[in-house]
Amino acid sequence: MFLRSVCWSKADFLLLQVTRQAFVLQRALASCRATPSLQHPACASVNERQYRTMPTHGIGRWRHLLPKEAPKKKKDKLQMKEILAETDTAYGSLNVTVSGYDMTLVEHYSQYIHNLCNRLGIKVADSYILPTKTTEVMLMQEQGTKMFVDAVLKTHERVVQLSSLEAAACPVLLDVLLQNQPEGVELSVSEHTEAHFQARFKGRPELEGLIAQLTY
Amino acid sequence: MTAVGSAGFRHLSSTSVCRVTLQTKSGTEKPSSPWTLMAAVCLQRLPVISADCSPIEQQFRQMMQRMELEKSLLSDHELRLLEDSERISRKQADDYDSDEEENRGDQEIVLAQDLEDSWEQKLQKFQPGLRVNVCVKSSRHSGEGVRARSVPADAPLSCLADADEDLTSLERCLADPLVLVAEQQVGGDKLWLLPQTRWQEGETLRQTAERALASLPAAGLKATFLGNAPCGVYKYKLPKAARTESAVGTKVFFFKAILSDGGAPAAPSASLLWAKKSELQRYLKPAYMMKVERFVLAL
Repeated sequence: MFLRSVCWSKADFLLLQVTRQAFVLQRALASCRATPSLQHPACASVNERQYRTMPTHGIGRWRHLLPKEAPKKKKDKLQMKEILAETDTAYGSLNVTVSGYDMTLVEHYSQYIHNLCNRLGIKVADSYILPTKTTEVMLMQEQGTKMFVDAVLKTHERVVQLSSLEAAACPVLLDVLLQNQPEGVELSVSEHTEAHFQARFKGRPELEGLIAQLTY
Repeated sequence: MTAVGSAGFRHLSSTSVCRVTLQTKSGTEKPSSPWTLMAAVCLQRLPVISADCSPIEQQFRQMMQRMELEKSLLSDHELRLLEDSERISRKQADDYDSDEEENRGDQEIVLAQDLEDSWEQKLQKFQPGLRVNVCVKSSRHSGEGVRARSVPADAPLSCLADADEDLTSLERCLADPLVLVAEQQVGGDKLWLLPQTRWQEGETLRQTAERALASLPAAGLKATFLGNAPCGVYKYKLPKAARTESAVGTKVFFFKAILSDGGAPAAPSASLLWAKKSELQRYLKPAYMMKVERFVLAL
């Protein structure tokens, strides 16, 4: 069996190849005549495979099957997510802010809140970080009036924005959060306003100066 | 609603944004239901300190600390220590040329080792608070009981009692959440239950719960209610003999609240208790307990 198959492959395979290529060429010509527009052989219609040397050329092509994606813009200006208003049964956009001196505790706690909301089915709109504030603790010297730097404390803040919190779920969520609050970490829940969103951006004094000059 | 909780005795501040007042429809008569409605408040004192770790947690914590220490890089202070010790060894060498040395200024005067010693001294002076509050039952100075945070060194041990066992004290079991239980008169019997009171027309159930809290004999209990929605319901049907057309039973709606300020330590009254979830079973009736334990979280 094995020997015979080998014999077959050498002679008849070439014949098969030739016949197949001829067949495809005929088909290609036919399609060309039907549609006079020239098509690039690489991006022909889905059903036709373009042959190069091997009959299996282009067998793994799949990207042409995906839906067309718009070209990705590199710089996307941070758009403000819509601020939902309060309804009768649900709160609007809420900001859960976690702040503290110890970054590991603050980060882990904010991750815990995010995961808890995912599990409870509460929609999380956004979760961002506010810039850290550095506080220098200055002590008065024992002899003399000069103050010297005793310690440098950094306050970290993490915000988890919830899009709509049901009124029935609110006491449950708050109770769990308060019971699991670690030591040294502050939790605060407030409504999300436009002012909160604008506070995340740095001011650009040169731009404002130029705009003032233009309008002047 | 804005709530801020911080470490220490939880200070909660809340501002109600918009309270929807109940609008009573005039003219239309609501069908009066045969159930009497009551609202109860589940007042919780949150844990003040974190709970002790179990043995596995302790072992894991030690292992993680060792791993992190081994993988970590030297900090600024440690680098400074190394540089100082190098400089001292160079100074003590025979061929020392002070002109070659870079001028460090402050660092030569105040060595990093000196800083470390001064910090060690400060640490010795610091005394952390006790994890378990001790209640001194009889004081040597006055006849009344004195609650002290730190135990005087020469107090006789026989008159010290663990504050954990004093069920009326707010400072017991700092690592667990406590629930307020009151003994109230309900239809002829004195029962232990969460403080409740009857709903009146024209007020929301949450306002009823607030009234229940205010009507307790303990003064100065300030609480923040978590939301307007109740967290649990208990239905009680009167025994068949007492049932009438208009009074089939009572429905009690529970509201959760967090204690924000204990106020002045009131005289321990026999009708108020702060109980852990495991101790609630001793005081509450079984059917009542089944409904209550569904929403009382002891994490």
